[in-house]
Amino acid sequence: MSKPSKKMTLNKKHNITGWLFLAPGALLILFMSFVPMGRALVLSFKTGVGAAMKSCGLMNYTRMFQDTVFVQSIKNTFFYLIIQVPIMLIFALILASILNNRQLRFKGLFRTMIFLPCATSLVAYAVIFRSLFANNGIVNWVLVNLGILDQPYSFLTNVWSARIVIIIALLWRWTGYNMVFYLAGLQNIEYSVYEAAKIDGASAIQSFFKITVPLLKPTILLTAIMSTNGTLQLFDESVNLTDGGPANASITMSHYIYNVSFKYVPNFGYAAAMSFLILILVAILAFLQMKVGDKRD
Amino acid sequence: MKRKILAALLASTMVLSLAGCGSGSSDSSTAAPAEDGAAAAEEEAAPAEDTGDAAAEETAASGDQTLTVWCWDPAFNMNAMYEAEKVYQQDHPDFALNVVETPWEDVQTKVTTAAASGDLSTLPDILLMQDNAFQKNVISYPDAFLDLTSSGVDFSQFAAGKTAYSVVDGKNYGVPFDNGAVIGCYRTDVLEQAGLTVDDFTDITWDQYIENGKKVLDATGKPLISMQAGECDLIMMMLQSAGSSLFNEDGTANIVNNDTLKVVMETYKALKDSGVLVEVNSWDEYVGSFVSGDVAGTINGCWIMASIQTAEDQAGNWAITNMPSLVGVDGATNYSNNGGSSWAVTANCQNTELAYDFLASTFAGSAELYDNILSSGALATWAPAGDSDAYGVGNDFFGGDAVSAKIVDFSTKVPSNITGVYYYEARDAVATAITNYINGSDIATELQTAEDTVNFNMGQ
Amino acid sequence: MIKFRKFAMYLFLIIVSFFSVFPLYWMVCAATNKSAEVISGRLIPGTYFVENMKALLASQNVGRAMTNSFRYAIILTILSLIISSLAGYGFEIYHDKAKDFVMNIILLAMMVPFVATMIPLFQMFSKAGWLNSTIGFILPTISTPFLIMMFRQSARSFPHDIMEAARIDGLSEIRIFFQMFIPTMRSTYAAAMTITFMNAWNSYLWPKVIMTDSNSQTMPMVVANLTQGYVTDYGVLMLAVLFCTLPTAIVFFCLQNAFAEGITGAVK
Repeated sequence: MSKPSKKMTLNKKHNITGWLFLAPGALLILFMSFVPMGRALVLSFKTGVGAAMKSCGLMNYTRMFQDTVFVQSIKNTFFYLIIQVPIMLIFALILASILNNRQLRFKGLFRTMIFLPCATSLVAYAVIFRSLFANNGIVNWVLVNLGILDQPYSFLTNVWSARIVIIIALLWRWTGYNMVFYLAGLQNIEYSVYEAAKIDGASAIQSFFKITVPLLKPTILLTAIMSTNGTLQLFDESVNLTDGGPANASITMSHYIYNVSFKYVPNFGYAAAMSFLILILVAILAFLQMKVGDKRD
Repeated sequence: MKRKILAALLASTMVLSLAGCGSGSSDSSTAAPAEDGAAAAEEEAAPAEDTGDAAAEETAASGDQTLTVWCWDPAFNMNAMYEAEKVYQQDHPDFALNVVETPWEDVQTKVTTAAASGDLSTLPDILLMQDNAFQKNVISYPDAFLDLTSSGVDFSQFAAGKTAYSVVDGKNYGVPFDNGAVIGCYRTDVLEQAGLTVDDFTDITWDQYIENGKKVLDATGKPLISMQAGECDLIMMMLQSAGSSLFNEDGTANIVNNDTLKVVMETYKALKDSGVLVEVNSWDEYVGSFVSGDVAGTINGCWIMASIQTAEDQAGNWAITNMPSLVGVDGATNYSNNGGSSWAVTANCQNTELAYDFLASTFAGSAELYDNILSSGALATWAPAGDSDAYGVGNDFFGGDAVSAKIVDFSTKVPSNITGVYYYEARDAVATAITNYINGSDIATELQTAEDTVNFNMGQ
Repeated sequence: MIKFRKFAMYLFLIIVSFFSVFPLYWMVCAATNKSAEVISGRLIPGTYFVENMKALLASQNVGRAMTNSFRYAIILTILSLIISSLAGYGFEIYHDKAKDFVMNIILLAMMVPFVATMIPLFQMFSKAGWLNSTIGFILPTISTPFLIMMFRQSARSFPHDIMEAARIDGLSEIRIFFQMFIPTMRSTYAAAMTITFMNAWNSYLWPKVIMTDSNSQTMPMVVANLTQGYVTDYGVLMLAVLFCTLPTAIVFFCLQNAFAEGITGAVK
């Protein structure tokens, strides 16, 4: 039988074709990301003010754990990650399955409206959120008028409320964004599967867990990794809404790294070292997520 | 990923909170024409822009009479540059400026990026720099900026407290531009309801200020002042009003043993506890609080007048005086400074002679220029300009008072202090300390933590 | 019961939509009011639109910024979709241990904050002479781990039997990609296009660092300029922000049917 050998060559051919397909993208990433990352890695073993850098071994890596502000920023960031990402993804999934319902009217309108927050320019988003939660803002106005509060509460200057405002802002801004991927993913599921399940007497909730979630697994993995990565690199909300305050209670890692690079006396070696800590943290989390979610059945 | 790219919007983000750190002021009665002037000037400059900036930069090297400038406010410092161009063109008809609107945050990012990567070719000939960032930038990247000490600019004609910001190791790196003298601004109509006038707030101490403030609060329910929580603008102003700094001459941190700072923090807490000072969440809310009349005044760099004057319905009801002084502190005065900026010449400038001569004969040599830009609110720190008649003209928004002359007078009395290379680090550490102290933490512990944080940042 | 559930569903959607649309409404109100009214929290549309418009056009070259933003966003989106989907397809359809491994490595590229790699990247670009050029602007974001992974994940549902059938029919691999994969994955492409356009449209830090020319200002830069003055005119600012937001919203509205309506009866 000469077939196996022929199949081998075909596989080999496909193997090479595959590499050719991914070469342009992979090479671009190599040069645009990995080469600069390599240089940043070298930098992370150096220290110094501005342009005068000298080798310092692992000093930057040990230093960051003695840096109280950075340690605080790690805690804050993980708080956002643990609370916000699961809520957001579940919420986005629910919205996507509702909006995937064929019987629903005004679907397009609803979808666009729910997507709007992430299309909103960052400046507007920041100004709006700050004004909503201002002392004389709408949120306080409503709560005071409903009798829940006696007097306006200063949301952005109290530790926990500032963090919670950031989480609300994140949910508001990114739920619609994740919904897009789920909606797109849902189109790859035959609608007839749902109809069949319905005939079999499955409730909406049953078909959500039995059909939607398993079939969307690749997309869910994608969004989970992206959201983890995005949250660990969270920057905008910390800078714009609370400026890291009160007293660093809401500052994120990326915000602090930015300060070290551009606001303070620049120390790019230290900034690079802290950036690689983020890489390590995201990589571990992504690896765990891939282990759970990236299986081809 | 998503946030990584969106994080790229960062400069647009910090600016709202940082707008306050800038400097400048404006005369609303004439602000509108000034804006038109800026627009017209921009149109005039358009042909120069069309030739392409890259090309313009390179041809500048070959004796072309064009300079590229980065600054950020069309109605204010950009307008000043266009006016300076006109003044200089009187004697140098071939001269042209290419002004690129670049927000301060971006100026800082671009300077750091270019200097750190060793390619200064993207930098302009001249850029405007926040005074507080001068020490940091010059020390970090000494090769990126030119020493202007012997450039022909007569630095002795500027207020000493002002040039001090841009002097590093005895060398001048900046030509001072705008004034950041601190003013106390009050709503005279509100004070009247409490039986007070602006005279009750002139040359007073903070104790008297709180006392008066309580009267206003009782009579009208309005606090005297609002401040952005977590920002220590007022702290820094109080500190400088007594000539005190967060650093010693030798560059070491001066926080734990700084008795003035302790008094400042206690004063701030007393202000807040009495209800005379109300903390707000953001810069927008801060501006909103006096524009919408929720507070009876504010204290800030004189550039805050421009924001006050957007409340057109309150015209004539505002008055300006000096700030309160600290109690029980040696060298306490009623004068301070907040914000302000100076022009720096970068090492990428090929035609340094032209750049020096331009600065020396405009911002450091032309009373005409300062008269022309006064209407946009750019108050000079160049002494001869203050003698001009234009500075004595009354401003109807502030009850017909000659505020320009007043502020120039204030600025000559500001005690100078040490900015420090690690200014922003110290500022943030003190902001954290004051927040915790207000919330009931012990002052000594907080100051110790702040000093430790600053020392940690310096020990790299 | 069913009626109640339907009612509850609509109510839920209406509440969510209300919160989502509110900022847009706020922006429209702000863009038509005076600055002082905006910060005092006026929530009714005003009559100051024309004045804000005049002030905006007088201080900023909005036309040029719009043109630039559209040009960069469109070029970037097209290139990005082609290159990233080719790669995602390659990673999934021809997957083996080595490619899965490379994919994991590629993911690492997005895990480092851009602040850390920006300066080395700037050095490379300055040596290559790409400062102040369109290529310098777009090159770093053409191929992103995120898009590659997105296409890789969705290629997983690309039916293998169709491919086999096509191969037996003698279609070359590249033609299978263009003739079968792209049409089948229309919804993924539409979603990717929306997201990529949005990211390109809003990109700020890198363009700002690499482009120093006034002629290459984009919409986000215009918005940033407006926030930087000593006095922020919130009415004018929000008008600019509205101009900066609408294109993305419109792109979404136009493309959403493509990615959310499914492809009935096509290849499957």
